[in-house]
Amino acid sequence: MNLSRGGNTPGAPFSRLLEMLRPDLLRFAFWLARDRAVAEDVVQETLIRAWKSREELKDPAAARPWLLTIVRREYARLFERKRLPTVDVDEVEALGDPALASDGDAGLTDLRRAIMQLPGEYREPLVLQVLGGFTTAEIAQQLGLTQPAVLTRLFRARNRLRTIYGLEPAEDAE
Amino acid sequence: MSSQGLDCRHVRVQIGGDPHALAPEVSAHLVTCAECRRFLEETLAMDGRLRAALELPIAQFRRRAPPARRFALAASVMFALIIGGGFWLLRPQAALAGAVAEHVRHEPGSWEQNTRLPPAEVAAMLAASGVRFDTRYPVVYAMTCPFNGRHVPHLVLQTDTGPLTVMLLANERISRRREFADGDLRGVLLPAGSGAVAVLARSGAKPEGSADEIARGVSWR
Repeated sequence: MNLSRGGNTPGAPFSRLLEMLRPDLLRFAFWLARDRAVAEDVVQETLIRAWKSREELKDPAAARPWLLTIVRREYARLFERKRLPTVDVDEVEALGDPALASDGDAGLTDLRRAIMQLPGEYREPLVLQVLGGFTTAEIAQQLGLTQPAVLTRLFRARNRLRTIYGLEPAEDAE
Repeated sequence: MSSQGLDCRHVRVQIGGDPHALAPEVSAHLVTCAECRRFLEETLAMDGRLRAALELPIAQFRRRAPPARRFALAASVMFALIIGGGFWLLRPQAALAGAVAEHVRHEPGSWEQNTRLPPAEVAAMLAASGVRFDTRYPVVYAMTCPFNGRHVPHLVLQTDTGPLTVMLLANERISRRREFADGDLRGVLLPAGSGAVAVLARSGAKPEGSADEIARGVSWR
């Protein structure tokens, strides 16, 4: 199926696909940026870029990872272009974001805040793996790292979260 | 403890790196090491919560409801809980049912849709999720949503008795049909081939009548 054609309006199926996947893109961008306004900007740029490149997407099943990869690139591009504020400022604002709250589940809210406080080098591969569904090999390719380095970062991310979850952390990797 | 050339520390790094894709040598170690098995179980349990934590409620993410509306929402949920309390107590609530209700509750706008989506577009979206779904009811809402670590189709059908939410859960296994109530939501979980289907209605509507027919229309690819 060619997603850029068909239906009554040219490009309508592709637009629909983008709209369907937009919540995922927003979540992903939010965890990268830790700022909902930045996340909205990144997703907007992503959708524009995806629309321009829609002929590249041959298989609808590949749309999600394709779009998530664009989100990551757009975030990196925005970060380079705008020199976004440092982590400490982001953290202060982000930890009070109501999007992190979970009605009736304080543990989930604490876990979200803990994820927010992970250093980017740990948070990004974790979000790519758990939310994005990427394999460690794919994450390694995206981040320009070796696969063992990605595994170590993912281990350290989970190890830091173990204490929030009430578990004893494991001995750290070398 | 060590086995098959790997010690516990290295095994736990592997488990912490990707608890869902373990190398054969890690699996071999786990056969003989109870402590590392426990570490794996703990990590898998934590990962379930981790997924839930990362799946932010987008409705809340996009905008906060005005205080008056939030109060009204809270009041309506409280009312539904009081009314539905007896029903809740009488029926055991499966974790899957609770997770489905929780997910549906995070997308309140889905119930308000009433424009039929082009069937070809819905079919393409479903094909991308590895499922085929035949139904006589118009589909008015179709999204692919993160759920229990997978991405699953979340549909709303417009039926004679009102909207029904349908979630097509290719990776969930249930042994038998199960009806449940969760706040103002009523639902049915049904086995469907190698997966499961959840059908939910709200505000007193009953999904039971259509649920079996809906589940029969599902086939996994």
